[in-house]
Amino acid sequence: MAELSLEARALVFRWPGGGRGLEGLDLAVSRGRTLAVLGPNGAGKSTLLLHLNGTLRPESGEVRLEGTPAGYGRAALSAWRRRVGLVLQDPDDQLFAASVAEDVSFGPLNLGLPPDEAAGRVSEALAALGISDLAERAPHHLSFGQKKRVAIAGAVAMRPEILLLDEPLAGLDPRSGLRLRVLLAGLAAAGTTLVLTTHDVDLAWALADEVALFVAGRTLRQGPAAEVLADRALLAEAGLEPPLLLELGVSSRAEALARLGR
Amino acid sequence: MSLALDRLAAASRWRRRALFEKALLALSLLALSLALPPWPGAALVLLLAWIAALGGARVGLGAWLRLVTAPFGFALVATVALAVEIGPDGIALAADGGRAALLALLRASAALSCLLLLAVTCPAPDLVRGLRRLGLPAESVELALLVWRFLFLLLDSATEIRHAQEARLGWQGWRRSLRSLGLLIALLLPRAMERARQLEIGLAARGFDGSLPVLSPAVAVSWRFVAITLAAEAGITGVTLWLS
Repeated sequence: MAELSLEARALVFRWPGGGRGLEGLDLAVSRGRTLAVLGPNGAGKSTLLLHLNGTLRPESGEVRLEGTPAGYGRAALSAWRRRVGLVLQDPDDQLFAASVAEDVSFGPLNLGLPPDEAAGRVSEALAALGISDLAERAPHHLSFGQKKRVAIAGAVAMRPEILLLDEPLAGLDPRSGLRLRVLLAGLAAAGTTLVLTTHDVDLAWALADEVALFVAGRTLRQGPAAEVLADRALLAEAGLEPPLLLELGVSSRAEALARLGR
Repeated sequence: MSLALDRLAAASRWRRRALFEKALLALSLLALSLALPPWPGAALVLLLAWIAALGGARVGLGAWLRLVTAPFGFALVATVALAVEIGPDGIALAADGGRAALLALLRASAALSCLLLLAVTCPAPDLVRGLRRLGLPAESVELALLVWRFLFLLLDSATEIRHAQEARLGWQGWRRSLRSLGLLIALLLPRAMERARQLEIGLAARGFDGSLPVLSPAVAVSWRFVAITLAAEAGITGVTLWLS
């Protein structure tokens, strides 16, 4: 078992309006792995991510960083967010500055880096996301896919140990989706721990080492992707279908066995 | 969704020139158009501003003409009032009114062209940052830049809502349009509030602690550009004083 870097224990949270929150949720994030939090719409996945970076505080239960319970004081939150980055689902919720480079520089400057080092982080992050040519553009002159990559660059420039991504591929066309998948795989290969929420089993299958099935505010099951995603009964319980590639494999195997007369 | 002026400024060939150069050119021309006798001073300023916009910054002629039409129209209407007077016999041409109106129109057009030249070569955020260097408090600058960013998000939301309303037969006839407009405004407020709340979460995740520091690109001032500007303006002043 890899080292745990972030852990949620029995989190309970209810939204004031009665929206779905968390009902005793457990989750373990291992260092250097990619974890997909998989569940249907409205299961509370975004609420979970907001707990994992300290934006929301659970009514009971706790979030642990490197084995110690996380604090919610100003200094503790600041240290927490240096290590755990968050990318929201809608990039327009995150981009605030007049140009791409300025927006990406916000995080590094908040880390207290001197301007030239921050500028280095900015060009590095833009290059990593393949958007160096957009540096001087205004956010409202960008396509949705480009904005999404700028939002991710804004988090990546802070070099977080763990990057939380809320529905990273939502709203992207297949081509930009594929490009982003490759970029995320690159980040993971470079050592960043990724936690992404999605209802896309194929994305989880392609990208994640581990999958946490998430239903009605609770983790139904967390385990290796190949194991969890192959469990049809479990997926059905979460209101999901098995990954297409896995289905194809299973059906062609069945066909081949039938042809052999077994 | 994007405003025409904003799009033009972002695409202008002078986009990357230092703000100092562009502001010097436009504002000193503006001063000349007001200080020099309108003929031939303002006429020369008008000419130079148009050459700078069309030839220097390479703003498309069509886009530039669309931009100047509305303010020039206002100036024209206002100067017509100078040309006529209401006497005992009704409305008549004022004595020497035609000439006065023409000169006023010339001066107004020249001054407007200078301001539009600045607007069409500098995106709004650059101008606001320039004001910061002139001593505007950082808080005001940050606020202005946020407002500018939100303007486009709000326009996007409003356009989406309007399209959705049109698809369900809103905006047909005066009464329904008024009702649709009311509903649109009522929807925009909570959307803007929600957007602001989300933005706060997004900023907090990147270490927001009350201020919005960003790295602004520093552009070196081209002294050649400044020299050419000053030489051209000296020329205009010389010719005007010599001729008048």
